[in-house]
Amino acid sequence: MSTGTNQVKSCPIPTRVLTLKDWSQLPDCYSQTPGGTLFSTTPGGTRIIYDRKFLLDCRNSPLARTPPCCLPQIPGVTVPATHPMGKLQDLKEEAEEDEKDIAEDNQFEMDI
Amino acid sequence: MNQLQRLREEEESESYHDDTDETNNNNNRHKVSPGAGEHPLQYNYTFWFSRRTPSRPSSSQSYEQNIRQIGTVASVEQFWRFYSHLIRPGDLSGHSDFHLFKEGIKPMWEDECNRGGGKWIIRLRKGLASRFWENMILAMVGEQFMVGEEICGAVVSVRFQEDILSIWNRTSNDQTTTSRIRDTLRRVLNLPSNTIMEYKTHNDSLRYYYYYYSTTTTTVLL
Repeated sequence: MSTGTNQVKSCPIPTRVLTLKDWSQLPDCYSQTPGGTLFSTTPGGTRIIYDRKFLLDCRNSPLARTPPCCLPQIPGVTVPATHPMGKLQDLKEEAEEDEKDIAEDNQFEMDI
Repeated sequence: MNQLQRLREEEESESYHDDTDETNNNNNRHKVSPGAGEHPLQYNYTFWFSRRTPSRPSSSQSYEQNIRQIGTVASVEQFWRFYSHLIRPGDLSGHSDFHLFKEGIKPMWEDECNRGGGKWIIRLRKGLASRFWENMILAMVGEQFMVGEEICGAVVSVRFQEDILSIWNRTSNDQTTTSRIRDTLRRVLNLPSNTIMEYKTHNDSLRYYYYYYSTTTTTVLL
């Protein structure tokens, strides 16, 4: 034990004590690394990490539900394909559209 | 959650000058950043879509013409906005692919970020692609892979009798990175046992297979 002149204040590691009456009260996050990964450190420096559950929860927020602007209209991908039998026609139309379309802003159209 | 608010410097994207990029919406260079109250992602990502139609030859030049950007996202909420308005991979028809790549990296091996790289590929029977694709890209944008800058992007490929997931990284001979990506995929995808995961370099000079069984694993270096 060193007897240096600098006295460093020590403080205990913060802990939280829960008393459980039942196993069902065990928190969901028990035994998980905070931040949601298996790693206790972040190799490569501090990063923005989201676990799957958090990302799925964000899906329900109003910010996540508005249609994106400038969504290109691709039948069968971003807008419904018009008709199953018309798929070849859609592909032909899409080929023509690709040649004509010069960075147009395509607003996503919703059927109301 | 471990969220950091930080200013992001504008990254220089490659600039593409030929006409095909403009017609395919591939030259969109306005800056994308998280909106107010949104959760920023560690990196911006761009959604791409490609489809090969029988009438078009499959040379590499026409591949670039067949691929188009859908949009770029900088936050969790923006990610969902785009993702929720795209058809699920399991419902795609024909020979189609979705790609989700870091902004500025084109989803083709000729991009300078991909030239020295490779990819893990997982072949799936029909019916699994939608669920696994979602779990894979959530892990990617959520930074679950923990390999620094190595991840370039992810692809789901819909083919005739199977679907293929792949995840691309920058340095194919970095075994620490490729092993960690493999292990993360096993964890986040909860793959059926006896799934074969295959690592291929983009220029195909080295290839190895990883056989994943529920109790044993074997790596075969070719």
